[in-house]
Amino acid sequence: MEFLEFFTIDVWTMIFTWVNMFILYKVVKKLLLKPVMNVLNQRENEVKKIYDDANEANEKAASLEKEYSEKMAQARDEAGEIIKQATLSAQKREKDIIDSANQQAAAITKRAETEIEQERKKAYRNIKDEISDISVAIAEKMVQREIKSEDHEALIKQFIENVGEA
Amino acid sequence: MDVAINGPKIVFTLPFFGGINVTESITHSWIVLLVVTGVCYWLTKDLSVQNPSKKQIVAEKLVLMARDLLDSNMGKQWRGYLPYIGTILAFSFLSSVMSVAGLRSPTADFSVTLAMALVTFVLIEYNFFKSKGFLGFFTRLTEPVIVMTPMNIISEVATPLSLALRHFGNIASGAVITALVYGALASLSRVILGWIPNTFIANIPVFQVGLPAVLSIYFDLFSSAIQAYIFCMLTMANIAGTAD
Repeated sequence: MEFLEFFTIDVWTMIFTWVNMFILYKVVKKLLLKPVMNVLNQRENEVKKIYDDANEANEKAASLEKEYSEKMAQARDEAGEIIKQATLSAQKREKDIIDSANQQAAAITKRAETEIEQERKKAYRNIKDEISDISVAIAEKMVQREIKSEDHEALIKQFIENVGEA
Repeated sequence: MDVAINGPKIVFTLPFFGGINVTESITHSWIVLLVVTGVCYWLTKDLSVQNPSKKQIVAEKLVLMARDLLDSNMGKQWRGYLPYIGTILAFSFLSSVMSVAGLRSPTADFSVTLAMALVTFVLIEYNFFKSKGFLGFFTRLTEPVIVMTPMNIISEVATPLSLALRHFGNIASGAVITALVYGALASLSRVILGWIPNTFIANIPVFQVGLPAVLSIYFDLFSSAIQAYIFCMLTMANIAGTAD
């Protein structure tokens, strides 16, 4: 068996060592560091993505909640407005109906009064005619003489008118 | 029994350039290469982002530990050196620790540690060149006064040399001490058990059981880890120091 010196510088050993170190460098880099760092980075990205997603979802939920509460408030306002409008229009309608009823009633009353007045005048005229006839007959009998009815009728009418006024 | 302290054994000789000696240091480095390649391949075979397996957690932990080490010693802007730091960490530790299996450590060969230290040295000089520019690269050696230039050059050269010698010295001395202790314990066994007429029983090295295991924990495991760590720390500190 041959040995090198215990303490010596052997150039070929150094060259082989450099080659070995270079290969080892490549192995460590390609087989260990690169894949492991890849996985670590990917995991970091995934965790970051999960956090981002969660934040985004939270923000979305908050904005939706705000939107819904705004919509609810709006709907409440609208409902109040509708009820108010309905109440107003109902009140207006009520007033219209009452007014028109009052008008009709007034018109009916007025017509009735007019008719009554006409009836009264007609009746009055009839009675006046009859009374004048009766008076003429009574006067004929009482004076026993023929009087010209035209002269007396004027007198009687005057008398009756005085009576009517009394 | 002879206690032989040898350099790396020549496994075979390639018939180029008047014979290239391929020593144990190189073949054992190949074993490290195979082990690292196999382990890396196995650890990162089925990586999953959401359901990491146990071995994936181990792989991630290893990578993150190396990255944290680099971040705390060099800063995040130097992360491009992570593969190199990982390489010397794995190569240095596994090379040293293979003496547990009775294989001669490649790092107990000065040529190997010098080769590693020279790579670090080249990186240091490259980064000096990058941060100080062509002129600053040379003028930094004349600071603070021009008289200091020889000292600065010596200290510049001392960096890789001390790196290489420290690593080599620690691992090789560990191997030497372990060999010496083994030899001494074998002799002790023979002396104590020599009175037994049966040569087979008399030659059982009973004292080699126990004490070498304790020594092995220090010289093989602890020292290997510490030296790999020191080598990486100094490499990182020196490379990052070029930006100051």
